[in-house]
Amino acid sequence: MARQKSLSTTVLPPNDLASRTLILDNGAHTIKAGFSSHLSSTPVSTTSCHVIPNCIARSTRDRRTYIGPELTTCADFGDLAYRRPVEKGYVVNWEGEKAIWERTFLANAAKNDGSVLGCDPAETNLILSEAPNAPVSLQRNADEMVFEEFGFGAYYRTIAPALNAYAPSPFPSTSTSPAGIPLECMLLVDAGHSHTTVTPLYHGRPLHPAIRRLEIGGKTLTNRLKELISRTFDVHREDHLVEEIKEDVCYVSPTFTRDLERTWKGGRYDGREVDSSVVVDYVLPDYEHIKRGFYRPHDTDVMNLRNRALGIGTETGRREHVVTLGNERFTVPELLFTPSDIGMRQAGLCGTVLQSLDALPEGLRQAYLANIVVVGGTSLLPGFVARLEGELRASVDEGTVIRVARAESPVKNVWMGGVRLATDEAALRAVVVTRQEWAENGEGWVRRRFAGKKGPGIEMSTPKKLLATVATCAIPIHSIKAGAAMGARKAVESTRMPSMLSSPTSYPIRYRTDPATAAIVTPAQTPDRTLGASSDPLTTAS
Amino acid sequence: MATGPLRFRTPHIEELPISQSRQSAGFAWVAVSTAQDDPAKNWGTTNRKRARASLGGQTEQQKEALSARVQRETERKIKELNSDNSRDVVIDIAKKPGQSTGGALKAGKTTGTKKILASGKTFAHYLDDEEAEIARTGRRDGDADAPAAAQRASKTPLARRKPRADSSASHSPAPLVAPMAPPPIPRLPTTDSSAAPIPLDGLDDDDDEEEDDEDRVPRMPTSVEMDALLNAPPLTYNQARSAPPPAGMPPPRRFCETCGYWGRVRCLKCGAMTCSVLCKDEHDQSRCLKMYA
Repeated sequence: MARQKSLSTTVLPPNDLASRTLILDNGAHTIKAGFSSHLSSTPVSTTSCHVIPNCIARSTRDRRTYIGPELTTCADFGDLAYRRPVEKGYVVNWEGEKAIWERTFLANAAKNDGSVLGCDPAETNLILSEAPNAPVSLQRNADEMVFEEFGFGAYYRTIAPALNAYAPSPFPSTSTSPAGIPLECMLLVDAGHSHTTVTPLYHGRPLHPAIRRLEIGGKTLTNRLKELISRTFDVHREDHLVEEIKEDVCYVSPTFTRDLERTWKGGRYDGREVDSSVVVDYVLPDYEHIKRGFYRPHDTDVMNLRNRALGIGTETGRREHVVTLGNERFTVPELLFTPSDIGMRQAGLCGTVLQSLDALPEGLRQAYLANIVVVGGTSLLPGFVARLEGELRASVDEGTVIRVARAESPVKNVWMGGVRLATDEAALRAVVVTRQEWAENGEGWVRRRFAGKKGPGIEMSTPKKLLATVATCAIPIHSIKAGAAMGARKAVESTRMPSMLSSPTSYPIRYRTDPATAAIVTPAQTPDRTLGASSDPLTTAS
Repeated sequence: MATGPLRFRTPHIEELPISQSRQSAGFAWVAVSTAQDDPAKNWGTTNRKRARASLGGQTEQQKEALSARVQRETERKIKELNSDNSRDVVIDIAKKPGQSTGGALKAGKTTGTKKILASGKTFAHYLDDEEAEIARTGRRDGDADAPAAAQRASKTPLARRKPRADSSASHSPAPLVAPMAPPPIPRLPTTDSSAAPIPLDGLDDDDDEEEDDEDRVPRMPTSVEMDALLNAPPLTYNQARSAPPPAGMPPPRRFCETCGYWGRVRCLKCGAMTCSVLCKDEHDQSRCLKMYA
């Protein structure tokens, strides 16, 4: 798209921030984009976030190519070939990404879905998210493309997990943080499309030595489901369809072996009844009458299936094609927790979290175990959070507090965090790099700046606050020593498997540093929401 | 205890301490590692499977090592599972209608962006480049390591060398100048940061680091340690990968290829597992590697 204005006619002084900020959460599957402004004080909600497929798709039926947001106009998703410019979480193919970005926020013409994302980059700040541990040359490319090609005025590139610290906390608490203040400590599990990362964050800054990545993501699950379904019905070319099936039907089973028994049809000599509550029939869309598939409990009568395939017995006489899904429903998401099922030599999600905690100093482990936030599209699978919490519970001392919560909107949470960061002018100004600074100091400086090479900048009072937290715990320990319902000593003496923590009791973890709104949230007080609250009764009251 | 054809021409008998060898009066069966090691035992079978089976069975280690081919297969399958593009598709990005300056704009505005837009590198290329760079020098994005190897070998005789202020050619000056003003961590204004906000009396801030009672509270990191953690350089892509599970874990689970239940029966020809006779029949008919048929 030809930008008619040249840079010299912008009204901004070169070192000032523009009024609007475009927050672009550039994921491998979708881009979450939206505007925010630090001048307006109206809180931004997730409705102003546009979710745009980050892909270029070619349909052999229409013989059309859909780029980015045009995919929503596609009528027939069958046999759609995808090409993604983001590989393994990082933007590799900038040609494709540029085409998608142009249609996302550069086009000022009204788009099909009526979105109003058009903007002029020179008068907009950009917050761009990337995956952690990116190769340096990819980061360099990204910086150069943003400044030179698109011409943004100011720009902040961060790893996606870090922005989550600015989003509202999913744990129930009595204090809500204002925009721009990050949560104190949070262990973020980002179950995304290409991979799953575990990132400990401290005041919004990542602790790099402890970031771990599990190379199973939504994409792996979709491909595995494709293979499994293709045993009966070939769906190797139907990416979109299998993704929909995965979203509709798959769940994480808390008891894998039991569910597997229920879906077995039996051997030659011991035939069994499959459990119809687990096995489902999925009706495939034909994009004429049925736009989106749906499922119903398994119909064991074969004649019924045959009839319906011929069009007899269905409403409007349409022909139904049905795929029966049994143990694929839960064996596919099981990969996240047991990657060795397909032979991958990595620890499961629980093991990855424990590895990440291992890289942290001992004193912080309890704090991070008590603040695990799960985001990412793959975390929408039912039973994901409960399973993760259960596995962690089994691997760690009895006395430690474990709280796992999924963000209210796992897909848009990073974007929300970016929005709240952008609404605070001081915070935004502190992290953003303007075009002039980039021109003056060069790309190495900019990259170091984004990587957080800030000198000894943490205020010295912070560790004292943490210590204060520990100190408060010290007192309850003494007080409950006598009638320990916690089993404090038992926990110390228990020799669990590589037990990460030796902290004996569950003490109240305060995760806000502000004394003004200090509220000690003890897990006993937190109502059950999306988290399976740790059931340890606490004897301390705040 | 037939482990194969009887071979009694053994002038040299070794008793090896493995479980498969059993004591028997007069003679002892010998287990030799591979057919190649002992030509006397090798009756000319080039079939590795027969050679393996006839020579006393395998240890766990041999089974592991044997599966190099299997390992490659699994690696390939995993790579396929993790592949981004469903198949090798070449999709041309059609020109947006109404573009006035067409080609020039498509190619990029500066030379740098032109190169980036035109490059056909995949992620594997970038990763390899980065690994090569790291192998060559320290991490080249200005992290704390000063690659001493990057300094050119000086031709000045030792006596005449001036002390070089730490300016190696490879460094950009940025990390050596005073660190840029650190953006303050945004936090709420704390009224009195030292006072404990928790209304517990008898609380003393200063000597709670030395809590040393029996219920040991793990030590909180000092601010120096926190600084070191926060300012540590990011890991490389390969370093951040999750490690394999500890060795004590049970072996990976195998599932039936036909129906997905536990795999209990292994196909002799292709090594795939099935759960029951029914599934095995189906596997033999349609999914087994036909080349053996």
